Parts: sequence; C-alpha cells; structure tokens
Amino acid sequence: MTPHEIRDNVFAQLKAKKIPQAEFGLFFTTKHELNLNNGQITLLRTTQNSRFSLSVINQKQQNGVANINKIDPEYLTQSVSSAIDIAKASPKDAAHAIAPYQNPQTFHKGLEAPDLEKMYTRFHTFQTQVKKQYPKIVLEDTILSFTQSTRFYQNTNGVDFKEYLGSYLFNTCFTAKDGKHTSSFNGTAFNTLDLDQELLDYATISSLFSQITEQTHLKSVPTHFVGDLIITPDCLIDFIEYFISIYLSESALISGTSILKDSLQKLVASPLFSLHSQPLSSDMATNYFMTGDGFAAQNSTIIDQGVLRGFLLGLYGARKIGQARAVNDGDNYVVDPGQHSYKELIKNTRQGILLCRFSGGDPSSSGDFSGVAKNSYYIKNGKIQYPVNETMIAGNILEMFKNILAVSQERINFGDAILPWIAFSGISVSGK
Amino acid sequence: MTMDLKKYQSLFKNYTELRVQKTESKHLCFVKGENTVSEKTISSGVSARSYKNGFWGFASHSELDESSLKTVIRQANDNAAFLSSKTVQKSKSFPATVNHHSVNTFCTTKPRKSFNEIMAFVQEIDQYIFRKYSKLLTRGLTLSCLDMEKTLLTSDETLAYSMVPRTLLCVFLDIEKDQEPIELYEVFGGLGQFEDYFSDPKLLYPKIDQLYEDLMLKKEGVYAKAGIKECILDSEVSGILAHEAIGHTTEADFVLGGSIAKDYLDQQVASPLISLIDFAHTFQGQTCPIPVYIDDEGTKAQDTIIIDQGVLQGFMHNKETALKFNVPPTGHARAFKFSDEPLIRMRNTAILPGDNSIKEMIASIEDGYYFKKPGGGQADSTSEFMFAIEQGFEIKNGKLGRALKNTTISGLAFEVLKSVSMVSDDFQWSVSGMCGKKQLIPVSDGGPALKCRVNVGGRA
Repeated sequence: MTPHEIRDNVFAQLKAKKIPQAEFGLFFTTKHELNLNNGQITLLRTTQNSRFSLSVINQKQQNGVANINKIDPEYLTQSVSSAIDIAKASPKDAAHAIAPYQNPQTFHKGLEAPDLEKMYTRFHTFQTQVKKQYPKIVLEDTILSFTQSTRFYQNTNGVDFKEYLGSYLFNTCFTAKDGKHTSSFNGTAFNTLDLDQELLDYATISSLFSQITEQTHLKSVPTHFVGDLIITPDCLIDFIEYFISIYLSESALISGTSILKDSLQKLVASPLFSLHSQPLSSDMATNYFMTGDGFAAQNSTIIDQGVLRGFLLGLYGARKIGQARAVNDGDNYVVDPGQHSYKELIKNTRQGILLCRFSGGDPSSSGDFSGVAKNSYYIKNGKIQYPVNETMIAGNILEMFKNILAVSQERINFGDAILPWIAFSGISVSGK
Repeated sequence: MTMDLKKYQSLFKNYTELRVQKTESKHLCFVKGENTVSEKTISSGVSARSYKNGFWGFASHSELDESSLKTVIRQANDNAAFLSSKTVQKSKSFPATVNHHSVNTFCTTKPRKSFNEIMAFVQEIDQYIFRKYSKLLTRGLTLSCLDMEKTLLTSDETLAYSMVPRTLLCVFLDIEKDQEPIELYEVFGGLGQFEDYFSDPKLLYPKIDQLYEDLMLKKEGVYAKAGIKECILDSEVSGILAHEAIGHTTEADFVLGGSIAKDYLDQQVASPLISLIDFAHTFQGQTCPIPVYIDDEGTKAQDTIIIDQGVLQGFMHNKETALKFNVPPTGHARAFKFSDEPLIRMRNTAILPGDNSIKEMIASIEDGYYFKKPGGGQADSTSEFMFAIEQGFEIKNGKLGRALKNTTISGLAFEVLKSVSMVSDDFQWSVSGMCGKKQLIPVSDGGPALKCRVNVGGRA
C-alpha cells in the first residue's frame, strides 16, 4: 500500500467511526551494519523494519495511540480499533490537538543506499591503522552502519509530509591495556553523509585514542577542592541534555518540577552561552525536516547569550501549559564558539578537571548531580598534570551554566551536533 | 504467535538460528493527574543469523510471511559469505550439541482486564495520592506491560518457545523545599502480567504511604559528606553492584575486550563472605524475575557461579566465546527485539545472602551511611563504578540518623567487595532493570545488604 492508500483507508475507517481528528506516522528503515569484535570485522547485519503509529482524538477530546510494525489492511484495521478503544478509556484533555494544514512537502537528505564495499574498506583500514598506530588499544563495540529511513506524516487537517534520509554512523568503544593495567573504556561517534575520509580522521577519534593510551596509569586527585571543570565536546552533550531534560522539557514543565518554568526571556545562564537546535543545518550530516506532531521543522535558538528564548514543547505540551510551541523537536544542538582557544582555557585554570567522560546517574530534578570523572585529567596551575581515577565531581546543572568562565573558539562537528569546550567554575571535586 | 519453523530448516546452509518474535506492550503515564501517554505497541518479525568460517551474517524483517522468512535466511547466509570472502580466518565450528525442545510460558491464568479497567486502576491510585497528599509538588505514575514471545529454531534442531511478560508500575512523588523539587520513587510488579500483581488499588496504598513518609524524611535530608565511609548497601544497591560492576566485567566478550577480570580468574577478588551467581531461572525454589531456560542460540541456560566465597570462578559465555575459552556455553546469548542479534547478557545476577541481621549491621557502624535505593549506575572494564543514590540515611553510633539528599557512591568493585565484613540474611530481587549494551534488554539483580567501605561523593 502507498502512503496515500493507507491514508485513505485509515481516515475512511475513522470517519465511519466519527473520529474528528487523527494523525499517523509511517516509518520504513533499512540498516546495514558492520560490527567489529575483538579487533576483527566479524558481523554484517541487514535489518528492515516498518512502523505505523496512529493517534486519534475523539469527539470528547480523548486520545489514544496504537503502534504496530505491519502495513496491511488487516493490521491497519486492528490499529484503528485499538487506538479508538484506548481513547475511550482515557481521560478527556482539551490540550490534545493535531497540526493545522500546511502545504504538502517532500524532504530529501543523503544517500538512498550504502556503498558496502567502501564501508568495508574504510572499516578494514581503520582496524589496521589502530593496530599499527595504537597498539595498546583494544577496540570493543565498534560499528559502522548506514541507515536509510523514510517517514510519512499525514493528518486529518490535510498535512502531507514525506522525508527521505540516509547517512552513515560510526561509533566506537575502546580501552587501552598495558600489561596488567587497563584503562576505563571510552567511546565516541560521528555521523557522515559520505565516507570520504579515513574513519580515524573524523571528529575526535584520533585525539581520544591518543589520550586513552596514557590512561592505563592513573592517580586520584590529591585532595578535595572546589575548582574549575573544562568539559570536552564529547562530554558536553550529556550536560546540555541534562539541562534540557530538567528545566526545558515538556515533562519537567507539565509536572511543574522545572525551576525555570517562569524564566522565559530571563537570564538563566552565563552571557557567554548560546545554544541552538538546528535540525535544518547544512553543516550537519543528519537532519530532520518535520516534527513528530506534524509541523515543518525550523531552526531555533534556545538560549541566546544566557537568555532563555524557548522551551522544548510539542503541540500538546504548549497547549497544556499555555506557552509557545517549539519550532522543532530539539537535537542537532549547536553551541556558539567563544573568544578563547582551548589551550587558553587550560592555561587559565588554577585547579580543576578536564572532564572527558562523566559517569553519573541522571541529576535530580533540582539539578544537583554527582558522578565520576572518567578518562579525565587533573589540571593544576594552567597545566594538565595526569589522568585521574576514583575522582568524583558534584555540582548543580543550573549553577554550572551560570558560572561559565570561557567557551573555546574551536568546536567539533559530530554530524549531529557542533560543540566547543566550556570551562565552568565552582565544581566540587573529591579524590580518594 | 506459533509458527512452524521446521519447514525452513532445509534452507540452513551453515550453522543458523531462525527466530520469530512478537513483543506487545501497553504504556500508560500520568503526570500530576494528567494522562500524558496511553498507547499500545505491537512489534513482531523474524531474524536469521548464520555463521561461516568465523564470520556472522544477520538479517531481520518485520514481515512474517513465507517470503520474508526465506529472504532473511538467504540474506544472513549472504552477509556471512560477504565477510568470509574478504579475509581468510582460521576458525573452529561449534561442537554439535544436544537438541532441546522447550516450551515456557508465564501468561497469567487470571481473567484478562481490558485497557479501560487498567486505566481506571491507575487513575484510582493517582486520585488516592492527590486526595491524601495535597502538599506534593507533583506526582507521576507510569505503567509498563511488556509481553515478550519468541520461537527459536537452530540448525542443531533445538526448538524453543517462550512467553515472558513483565509488568511494572512506577510511582514517583515530588515535594518542594526552598523552591527546589525533591523526588522519590517506588516500582511495583515483576515477572507476569498486569492481573498477576494488580487486583485491587487499595493493596498498594500502604506502600504509597510509606513512600510519602520516606519523601518527608528526604525533604529534611542533609548532604552526605564526601570521602571513604563505612556503609551498608541495601539489597537494591548490592544488586546493581553485582550486575554493573562485577557482572559486566565477567561477560566473556568484555573479558576478551580487555576487562580487568581476565587477570583475576581463580584469584581472591572479594571477601570470603561473597558468592555471586548469575541465575538462569530459579533461586531458592522460586522462579527468578527473568527466567531463561533456552537462550537465543539454543543453549540450555545454566546458573553461572562467578564468585565463590570470594574467588573468581568463571565467566558468562555464548557459543563463540565458549569455543575460544574451551568451556561449555552457559546460555547467556540473548536478544531483545526480533531485529537484535544475541549478545552475552546477564539474566538474574545476585550476591548470595549471609548470616547477619540488618539490625546488627547498623549497630556495628559508628559513623557511616545506609544506602537504600539506587538511581542508576555505570561501571567499566576496570570494575570502577558509580551509582546514584536516591535514598539513604546517616548511621551515627550504631543507629539510623537523618535522611540524605541524593548522592553518589563510587569505587573499584573488586576492592569494595574485599572490604565486605558483614552480609545480611535476607534477600530481595530488583525486578525493573533494563541493561544497555548495544541493545537494551530486561534483566534483574538482587542480593542481601552488604557492610563495606565505599567512596561517597557528597559535597567537599
């Protein structure tokens, strides 16, 4: 069945059952994945999946959602019945709604199919280079994949969107072993539309490999202190996501736990910090062009020189709390560069930690966090001293972003985010 | 969902697994009385995995017709052949194994409830909390009902069918202090379907009352003091220690990947009071929360003794690592979705109970902490771990003191286990675990309470 045949079939059934509003997403994904195991490429996977996700709103403003990964008339009928039954059982809620009519659009980005031979060649070269250049490194889960996804969105207001995406994703997890000394594992990933460079040359891979070979001999920091924290681009994304989840997300705002719920257009972070969500950015390999609730996506600024410009609310959340809807679903985060080089950030640190990976539970709803600094370094008097172990850091997410000392000029493009190094002050650090 | 897979066996060119799966879930979410999620998801499909000259090919498809089954078998063969054509590699074949025919189902025997009845049950609990505890900043209830159904056929002619459901109701309460939210949660349910756990909302009220009382204590909580402290890790925390910090380092694929446990086999790695086992399906005569009888490679699942009285005894294996280590496979190859290949995964990982009562353990500590509820955790190949602590108390002069704000504990797990000086005589499973290792998969862990020395990440 074509998406329009599905639309006609489903909406006719809903009309017969007097359902006034409905929307569905239709997803098809094909993935090719090369996996490395114990330093050898030993697994090739090809997976195909589909998903039909139907959301209905009945005349009493009750909502029900049914998802199924089969596309044929029998299953569609089953989904329609299921979504209607769920809606009947659900409480009424005036906030349920679907996107208004927009002109039909089709979006394309990337390739339709992978170059499997090229994937193998790049991966094989990577494996050979790592063995030669970084003999102490043990590659763990390391995967080069290509995903082609097709997404259709239709609703009873006539929204008709189609999106075709295809890109490569490389992720690697690794440790270093030196005799009986083992480092902590570290990992990184990047997205790309092509494989024009060797894998080692993308994003932060080679610098992390250099770092980990010196992380088999570690020391704890000498004392407990309150100092600075320089967070690397690989690690920064975790803290941005904590910030959004605790203070700006739909769930935090509906539940009322966000302490920034009344802070729109107010200063909530250092003026040195500007955060954007750019799903349409041509600088990144992965994009999305429509939101999950049926709007054409746009780029947005979430925090502008410290001032909160918007929450990450979908249509439901926006109507629920009476705030503006975000023009995208978040992700594709970009942080503006600063005035100082990375070297200057280190040089200006009297005592602190270069945080390369954070191992911690999710921060509490107040933003308090604590966790272990992994694959990280002790900084003293403007110089990186040594890699650390058993070193804990603690602070508060909101306070941290208020206490930014500097943002680096250099940024890393991971293909789905563009991020700098950021130096924060006032972090509790405790050694063993 | 029963399918005759045997008719496809003639298409198996190499060692092959053919798996058909259906996962059905219901998900309900209430936040502050608002029903933010009410949905049902059905996902089914088929996968095949083929092994040739040391290389694996895998393919999956969401359709379940004859053509799709034939396609995935062919594609898996082709994928293994593609890799095999690139490199010559010496590899052994898997030894022939005894075939097993197994049927294990944990469907409820009680009359099934409709979505409407389930919704009404959750709403009633929500309203109970709303009416009784008006000072709360917010409240949340999340119900997750997951039915996992699998049929597996291997080229060894093992044929296994299982239906393993898990139902979890998570209740969280938030209260405000100094304009900051303070939260505590509790999870109810476990192996089985909704009807097996939730007959009457009133049965949960005493537990919710207890959760509220604990939240009031936490509201007045203090920051833990940073540093190495003598502590009691209650069963939920000792369970996560067993899973995250020890379990993962002893999965044979991690051992091959450089885990520190590789160098510790047959050595004293913990106090003699510590024995740690990954159970396949039964402990103390009871079915474990994640029972595995035949794994997704067709191996009969065995209990695996990882640490016996402090000595590291063995690792968890699939067929491939067992071949490399020259030991029998232990039945740890598991896949969650139909589109996942089996990986070495834990099942029910626990430290065995000891002889001490919690009371005497608390009484033995002059200045330390009692950590009751974890909030998530991570560990790595060195056994260094970090766990968030959502609920804990001071111990002063042998008695429980003030509640704690959220904190974190960390250390090297093998060092922490060496410091264990008392082990409680009770035991409890934690039933809600989801383990992430390339794929998510349900797991359980459990244990007694342990008295040990651990690094507390409070305020400096």
